[in-house]
Amino acid sequence: MISESKLKILTESAKYDVSCSSSGSKRKNGGGIGNGYAAGCCHSFTPDGRCISLLKILMSNDCVFNCKYCMSRADADVPRVSATPEEICELTIDFYKRNYIEGLFLSSAVHKSPDYTMEQLLLTVKKLRTEYGFYGYIHLKGIPHAHESLVREAAKYADRMSYNIELPSEKSLKLLAPQKSRESLLLPMEQLRREKVAFQEEKHKGHFLPAGQTTQMIVGASPEKDGQIIRLTQSLYRTFGLKRVYYSSYVPVVRDPLLPDMPTGELREHRLYQADWLLRFYGFDAEELLEEDGDLSLEFDPKCAWALRNLHLFPVEVNKAPVEVLLRVPGIGARSAYKIAEARKYASLTFETLAKMRVVLKRARHFITAGGKFYGSENSAAVRGMLSSGVRTPVQMSMFADGQNALLSDFETARSALTGEL
Amino acid sequence: MIYFYDGSKDAFLTAFLLAYNDGDATLTSGSAQLSIGSQTVFVQADFSRARRAEKRLLAIDKGSMRDLSVLLRSGDGDRDMVALDYFKFLAKTGRPVREMLAEDCVLAAAECMRRVGNEVHRFHGFVRFMETGCGALYAPISPDNDICDLLVPHFRARLPGFPFVIHDVKRKKAAVYDGEHTFLAPLDRAEIVLSAGEEKWQALWRDYYDGVNIPSRKRLKQMRGYMPVRYWKFMPEKKG
Repeated sequence: MISESKLKILTESAKYDVSCSSSGSKRKNGGGIGNGYAAGCCHSFTPDGRCISLLKILMSNDCVFNCKYCMSRADADVPRVSATPEEICELTIDFYKRNYIEGLFLSSAVHKSPDYTMEQLLLTVKKLRTEYGFYGYIHLKGIPHAHESLVREAAKYADRMSYNIELPSEKSLKLLAPQKSRESLLLPMEQLRREKVAFQEEKHKGHFLPAGQTTQMIVGASPEKDGQIIRLTQSLYRTFGLKRVYYSSYVPVVRDPLLPDMPTGELREHRLYQADWLLRFYGFDAEELLEEDGDLSLEFDPKCAWALRNLHLFPVEVNKAPVEVLLRVPGIGARSAYKIAEARKYASLTFETLAKMRVVLKRARHFITAGGKFYGSENSAAVRGMLSSGVRTPVQMSMFADGQNALLSDFETARSALTGEL
Repeated sequence: MIYFYDGSKDAFLTAFLLAYNDGDATLTSGSAQLSIGSQTVFVQADFSRARRAEKRLLAIDKGSMRDLSVLLRSGDGDRDMVALDYFKFLAKTGRPVREMLAEDCVLAAAECMRRVGNEVHRFHGFVRFMETGCGALYAPISPDNDICDLLVPHFRARLPGFPFVIHDVKRKKAAVYDGEHTFLAPLDRAEIVLSAGEEKWQALWRDYYDGVNIPSRKRLKQMRGYMPVRYWKFMPEKKG
């Protein structure tokens, strides 16, 4: 059994990784323990409001790389430990069978060398699958600069792999994570994309990353604008077919002259997730949302901001508008758009029926008519005022950091911050 | 008229036929406020009448009995009336009404079923097994809705080699998987002998739970929104 202190160190160092989803894999139980749960499943929630779905842990925090922002960087004076593959496997199995977790999220510091680390990770997941008979979810971090044959082999055992892009531009990457290069992150992503396509075409038996790839970048440690970040995100989705791009707002765990002293506002992270959702589920293009050198509005959510810039397209009639148009109405999410499309087949919808169906009308009423009736305000300045979140400029935000936290502690906002739902 | 019934499917269907043309019907499997002059009937399940109602409802909507089964599991106080209104509307309309969300009775039924379904999904995550001395797994739960047997297929599929018991301590019943078959049994109190390692694994899980939290981001309200306090009773990470 892994020791308490080792578990604590390896967890503490892994917890800033944002990705925790366990969705996308339908792996069947083949006689051992576990299976995939395509919808994903949260098993617990911590006092920071995040969910625990996977056992998120490092193989080792003993790193030869020296990324400035990382608490496990080579220069840091912290206790170094490494777990054995057996310790990780045993922990996973015993947590899993008690239904504490949905699977394993295994990452590692670059211990000794990239190839050695990747070998250890591969050895662990292979052992877990073959010797321990584990069929549950495995998310494996890719180690940059590891040999491509190790990456290919690992993909046969993991449900999802991720290479963290870390920072939104090559320049910042060079500055803050000097040993990681753009190629060392993007080439394996491209390799996995290519090999997954080939695997699917040849209809091989077995699995090859059924839940695909994701990535993560730190926002606010470097000067890139939201416009660049959203464009990068869009190209990652389109070029590499990623399932998710995660953003982690910068939290200073290390002091360095190259890094900001203040944490990045979580509202910025929230707005990025909202924009990310618009790209993936609402048919928006990055170009519609903001300029390349611009930031997302903190005052309005990105869909609302877009609608306010395009008032000539509104109001739309809920009983007639196609679903794609409904999806672009501020306040109407995918679920509401679907409910409206179903219900209007049987009866003409009024504001009263929309309210009963729990379609949130606070924002939407300014952009729709129901049965020809309009209950919003004609005055666009008044609409702006009513829809404003009250947060005006970035300057004000950093001055009143507490006020902004108070905003997110409101349950609805906080929930949508987590799920990214608009 | 007030119709009392025992909450079972057949008694519901029997009462449904009796109350079908009673515009003033109150149907309940719990208690009801009696007003002066109110008439009451205690409806017993009538097998042949229940089959007649079932056949008729199934002819209208193939999914109707599945809906009924879900509605009758609900822990909501008004679920009997919600179900009665829904099935009356279904029978009067003569075709599936599931998507007619602009109708009050359909919406109420949909919400009620959604709450049951949501709780099943939540418990796929929130069930906490303990390992007993003989290797079988035991999990006490206390859900809002009567769902313990609905949880079995999920755990059976992922833990085929582990016999387990999911014990609804509120309703005093247990869903059991003995390694081969699953069944539902009444169970008041269970005497459990824990395995040698159980306490240690629970402690390790608590360590993990504490370690993975980011203390500088305190969002207690959000945590409780996702994982309501009433579910904490049987979670090692929230005890002690």
